[in-house]
Amino acid sequence: MNETEHEIVHVPWRKNQLVVFVSGSIVVALILVVVSMALYASSGAAQLDLSRPGYQSVQDKVDRTDTFQSFSANGPVNSDELDEFEELYIDQTRTVKTTQVFSGSALGEKTLGIDAPVPLPAE
Amino acid sequence: MMKFILPLITGLIGLLVIAMTAPATAQESPTMTDEHVARIKSNCRLAIATLGFTLEKDAPVYINYNQTYYSISDKLMARLNSRLTLNRYDATQLVGTASEFNDTLADFRRAYRLYDEAMNDLIRMDCRSQPVTFYDRVSEARELRQNVQDITQKMSKYIDEYLTNVRDFRLENDLVKESRNE
Repeated sequence: MNETEHEIVHVPWRKNQLVVFVSGSIVVALILVVVSMALYASSGAAQLDLSRPGYQSVQDKVDRTDTFQSFSANGPVNSDELDEFEELYIDQTRTVKTTQVFSGSALGEKTLGIDAPVPLPAE
Repeated sequence: MMKFILPLITGLIGLLVIAMTAPATAQESPTMTDEHVARIKSNCRLAIATLGFTLEKDAPVYINYNQTYYSISDKLMARLNSRLTLNRYDATQLVGTASEFNDTLADFRRAYRLYDEAMNDLIRMDCRSQPVTFYDRVSEARELRQNVQDITQKMSKYIDEYLTNVRDFRLENDLVKESRNE
């Protein structure tokens, strides 16, 4: 046999290289989708995503501009600086001091109309 | 090779479909009367609409609270702790409270995620065919929502505690007296 000639080996799956390539790509894509969806759900990103179906109507209720004022990490420590800190702190924590949010009573049986019916008085 | 790949793809798709459509298997309440079950069946569609509306209203509240809590920690507590440490003050108490605040913030996020997932499962439920399971799931969601509220109260407590720590720090280091002298 000449040095430049090679023996052609017929491997069965080589006949369907395109099909194998496409199928493999689909499998890899499916795995990546499952992994990314799992990360999206477990990381808490889903709860911050208002582009989910059903949440578009409340998108405008989110504060999009970050107006929260920072306190500088550098500088002296004296009464004026600490006064300024206290003022900033009291002013900016006010919005989350209302603890009446997320009350369990909003999902009460009566509110939802799934409470046990009151038995009629015996005649 | 094709003999292996095609069944593999079919199997994966099958698993996905099963995972997405599997019916919930919850312990059902044994003490429910027939009248109660009938009432749940007749009102559950309306209940689901109310649940959806509640969850929709909760989402922006959660996002705003989460953002504000994070800013309090990152832009106020951490900054002051850092400044005190750079100026060689003992900020152990403040650092401790800030750390507990951060841990509770992680609990807040986790608790809301569980509540959100439970509510989304509820909203997708076929309540007419599984009224008792629906009722039990509503009870679970109610507890999860209450847990979120309990954590917001804890967060408020730490916000107050940090301010008290700052005031104690000022007293201990004579930084109140200094302001009066100025």
